[in-house]
Amino acid sequence: MQSDNIKIVIAILGLEPHWRGAVTVAQMLREFGVEVVYISNAFPEEIIKVAIQEDVSVVGVSSLSGGHLALGSDLIYLARKKHIKDKVVFIIGGVFPPNDYNELMNLGFDGVFGPGATGEEIYNFIRKALTAKLDYSAGKSIA
Amino acid sequence: MNQDKTTKQMITEGLKSQRDMPVYNADTINKISREFEEWKNSAVSIENRKHYDITPHLLLGTDLPRGLVYSPIDIKFLDYGEDLGFPSKHPYTRGIHSNMYRGREFTIRQLSGFASPEDTNERIKFLLDNGATGINIVFDIPTIQEYDSDSPIARGQVGMGGVAVDSVNDMELLFKDVPIDKMSVSLVTHYPTNTAILFAMYLVMAERRGIPWEKLMGSVQNDIVMEEVVRGGLEFIPPRECFRTQCDNISFIRTHVPKWNCITLNGYNLREAGASAVTETSVAMANAIETLKELVERGHSAEWIAERISFFWDVASDFFVEIARLRAARRLWCRIMKYRFAADNDKAMLMRCHVQTSGLSLTSEEPMNNIVRAAYHALAAVLGGTQSLHVSSYDEAYSVPTEAASLVSLRTQQIIQEETAISAVVDPLGGSFYVESLTDELEKKILDEIDEIEKMGGIVEAINRGWLHKKITEYVHHENRMKKNLAIKIVAHNYHKLSGNRVAIDIFRYRSGVEERQRQKIENLKQRRDNTAVKKGLQKLREACLKHENVLPYCIEASRADATEGEIAQIFRETFGLWHPPVHW
Repeated sequence: MQSDNIKIVIAILGLEPHWRGAVTVAQMLREFGVEVVYISNAFPEEIIKVAIQEDVSVVGVSSLSGGHLALGSDLIYLARKKHIKDKVVFIIGGVFPPNDYNELMNLGFDGVFGPGATGEEIYNFIRKALTAKLDYSAGKSIA
Repeated sequence: MNQDKTTKQMITEGLKSQRDMPVYNADTINKISREFEEWKNSAVSIENRKHYDITPHLLLGTDLPRGLVYSPIDIKFLDYGEDLGFPSKHPYTRGIHSNMYRGREFTIRQLSGFASPEDTNERIKFLLDNGATGINIVFDIPTIQEYDSDSPIARGQVGMGGVAVDSVNDMELLFKDVPIDKMSVSLVTHYPTNTAILFAMYLVMAERRGIPWEKLMGSVQNDIVMEEVVRGGLEFIPPRECFRTQCDNISFIRTHVPKWNCITLNGYNLREAGASAVTETSVAMANAIETLKELVERGHSAEWIAERISFFWDVASDFFVEIARLRAARRLWCRIMKYRFAADNDKAMLMRCHVQTSGLSLTSEEPMNNIVRAAYHALAAVLGGTQSLHVSSYDEAYSVPTEAASLVSLRTQQIIQEETAISAVVDPLGGSFYVESLTDELEKKILDEIDEIEKMGGIVEAINRGWLHKKITEYVHHENRMKKNLAIKIVAHNYHKLSGNRVAIDIFRYRSGVEERQRQKIENLKQRRDNTAVKKGLQKLREACLKHENVLPYCIEASRADATEGEIAQIFRETFGLWHPPVHW
């Protein structure tokens, strides 16, 4: 898949006051040719709405101050409800206690990134995850 | 005072007539210059000569070129009396007290705040029991963003990253049995509007405990840069109204709570968002200048206000630059007060500050390394002459600190105080050719940037037109690129990296049930309180907002009636209207 086909909506989750991480990832991904829709602070309803409107392939959210589990779970719940969970890649980045990495994956995030993540790691992950989702969706529609 | 001149012009003109006693005479400098050239051309290798100046790139760095070695040539115009002076004497470069830490150790002021007010109250007492000498309260996300714990917007975020405070009742629980009449309390209120609300609650809490406001010591932040630039959020009021609230708070607090620092110009969070030491300082000082101008227009004396202005700086990894910057900031602030505001009251010229060591500079990889990093940062802060200090904890890249991590931060400071003898001598690096040269250069760069801001129309205008937003975003991108190409090396993060995730530390776990408890408290409060009085109080605040009256007394009145934070903030949003900060990325 070509990078110029990847479109991501990047949001800061809820009331999170830190924006440096989200802006950093937005810019890093843009350098890889990803089309970025950056919407600053938003709640899950808004994020899913934009994701559908903009027909994105990836949703990326940022959280540093502890709201990740509650709002992250809302986000995935809404994604399932709106039937985009199977085709859109969901990633979350920020500051999380180590145990929460697994918990976020269990909630249904495709990828969880800590403060050390590089643009390359995130980009490569998105490409791989998208390919897997496309294969999965294709398989499902044939079945 | 000539309003047409910029601060830089006024300082330059003022200094011209003063600096006439160089430490080194021209003959000495000429002789040293000849010897320097000779040394450089004979003893220094061609390679080192070619790259005599190198520019170290560091996280939150300032990109100042450094020579191989420094000598009197680099500070040839140094005038001891005019540029350094003795401690407690103009221009305070060497420190604000004559005996510095011998007379009064720097205050150990570790941040605390998590979960409910009751939980944080326990942590405050733990820190005080173990030798902390000041209190520093950080609020949770909904409180900082000015929503109540029971607001749907607050869901899942209550008690996260700080302590939840919804009403005076919570303020009472937070400070229960804490001797607020005897020790200083820093309230990290960040924004002007939040200061108007949370400090109002603090004052009412003191009132209910029978403590007169005159006895209260401490500080609020109250900084427009925090509210309009540094934070992300859903709703912002326009910069002009935000600045007005900042000045309202100062005017009221200075008058009625005389020992309280009515504004803490917060360089720290701006720096951590993405700025050099120069921008951190220039923005804070440009804001201070504009604030003093406004308060003079409101009929106050600039000097009287300045006595209660304090600064909050970040100290990151460029060791000598950080030390020099604190020295430069003290000197420049003195010169600003002296030449820009014609001050002659010594207390008004002191740049008093709190330092927090850089949290951004800490890594999630091999977190114990952060203890070493923070110790260097803390050392720089003390060598730079800070008045109080918070050392960031090694687990910050994961969560708020555990009790164990907080203790290491506390011990880091006590080790500096008790085991190194650093505090025995005032300004131990004063006179170092290198440090003095850096101090000069940083002061010049800070003043140049203040000049740039003033020529733009001042800090409020710089915010309004997005200059500052753009500047920090560009800084972040530049820094990211340097991290990526290893121009900036961070051990175990992008350099000397181990494979695999090797966290082996305990991480703070949030207590469950905080949100529910806060909700319950608000529900009980709303049943118990006189809702007519609340409504009346809020209506009076609404009128004050619209009529450009000082908002703080009305926030106090509403707080006395037990209005919640969210209720008061809503009045600001409705009367001031909303603003969309410029987004750059």
